[in-house]
Amino acid sequence: MAKQLGFYFDASACSGCKACQVACQDKNDLPHNVTWRRVFHYGGGSWIPDGDVMAPNDVYAYSVSTACMHCEEPLCMEVCPAAAISKRDDGVVLIDQSKCIGCRYCEWACPYGAMRFREDLGVMSKCTFCQDLLAQGQSPACVSACVMRALDFGELDDLRAKYGAGNGIEPLPEASFTKAAVVITPHKDAQMSGTGTGKILNVSEEV
Amino acid sequence: MNVREWALIAFTILAQMSVGSFLVLGVVHFFAARKDGMEEADRLSDRALLAIGPVLALSLIVSLVHLGNPMNSYRAVTNLGTSWLSREILSAVSFTVVGGLFALMQWRKIATPLIRNVIAWLAALIGVVLVYSMSNVYMLPTQPAWDSLATPITFFATTLLLGVLAMGAAFVANYAYVQRTNPGCADKQCQLLRASLRWIAVASVVLLGIELIVAPLQVAYLAAGTSAASQASAALVFGGYGLILATRLVLVFLGAGIIGLFLYQNATSPGQEKIMGTLTYAAFVIVFVAEVLGRYVFYAAHVRIGI
Repeated sequence: MAKQLGFYFDASACSGCKACQVACQDKNDLPHNVTWRRVFHYGGGSWIPDGDVMAPNDVYAYSVSTACMHCEEPLCMEVCPAAAISKRDDGVVLIDQSKCIGCRYCEWACPYGAMRFREDLGVMSKCTFCQDLLAQGQSPACVSACVMRALDFGELDDLRAKYGAGNGIEPLPEASFTKAAVVITPHKDAQMSGTGTGKILNVSEEV
Repeated sequence: MNVREWALIAFTILAQMSVGSFLVLGVVHFFAARKDGMEEADRLSDRALLAIGPVLALSLIVSLVHLGNPMNSYRAVTNLGTSWLSREILSAVSFTVVGGLFALMQWRKIATPLIRNVIAWLAALIGVVLVYSMSNVYMLPTQPAWDSLATPITFFATTLLLGVLAMGAAFVANYAYVQRTNPGCADKQCQLLRASLRWIAVASVVLLGIELIVAPLQVAYLAAGTSAASQASAALVFGGYGLILATRLVLVFLGAGIIGLFLYQNATSPGQEKIMGTLTYAAFVIVFVAEVLGRYVFYAAHVRIGI
């Protein structure tokens, strides 16, 4: 069995189409406002005078698909007062909703905004890594749905051997915070976490 | 700001006020007993002690309102190993139980004063652990607006400031109740009341000083922070919530500082008991409102690191 499963995301390939998010919502039967996978459009730049007109200056934009990072040191699990969050032997972080008290403290802690409150149930919910599909030897729904082949998953060490060690581009926080189990290939214009000059452009979509 | 966050404001303020009141009462009782004997000290503080119970109980009940699934609330103490929230809840419940036990024993004069003293010390210690745990709940590495020394300092300052003023108000109410038929200030009780209020006035001015130093330092610390979340928090404080924060500081200056000084003066010169009482009530109400505003900004102006 794997020691630490993780996701891989190729920001240089992602078109920002959100097929991963829709597949996740569908597969996990989530209400429209409970998004386990979110796609952020991040961008910036400015305008400079060019003769009589204003021209774009260093304008850039790229998309980042995120879900629970199934961190090696999950802050959500550490702070949960009800011991409702656990980490499986394969590294997948799960929440047991029958234990959750709905205090939403994990939501304050997680730097990836991966803990999503179910208003209808009064408890938290999160990405399960599609553990049922994994058990059948299939890929998580988001990975299968990606039309750009920008998502992958697997043993974290294998992902690093295959795709490199990149893991921190804006608007994500530094992966070292919680030892996020993620590998990312940066977009050509991507900015490293903590040095961002741009902003999330689709805040109203991905709160 | 929603119902859930108002529940947290009410819980933290009322629980801290209860702990502060208990600690202040202990100190006042100790000195009063040394000065005028156990009986006079009990007369001064026993009713005030009973007033803490309902406030504490209310805070615990209100805390349940912020839970999405209150039926599971008993599970909130199952992760004591790593969760400060579990430790907070355990110490809140323990403080209620041990403090309640002491109040009952003190009221009914059960067991010897020594045994009651031991239980009171235990409750006071748990109370301090409670406020310490409460501070740590908010000191998350992903919350720059909360993750600094300002959180415990502010929480303890609120605890003691509301504690001294709530107990001052309780002493005044108790004295008015005891002396309904016998106005004036000739007896030992009134002398004790005036001495207590003098010290309460001094303590509130000192605590005011701490709050006035920490609040701007905290904002400066946020503004100097390098993370986007820290900058966003500072922007919220300077922007929409700046006015509320300023109002809070003006009110606490007015209540604990200006009225505190008048209170000291009144409590020093005999014959001013009526004004002295009014000043104490006013200081308590104004500072209570100020602390609620401060806590409001605390919950409204935090921005988490990340997405």
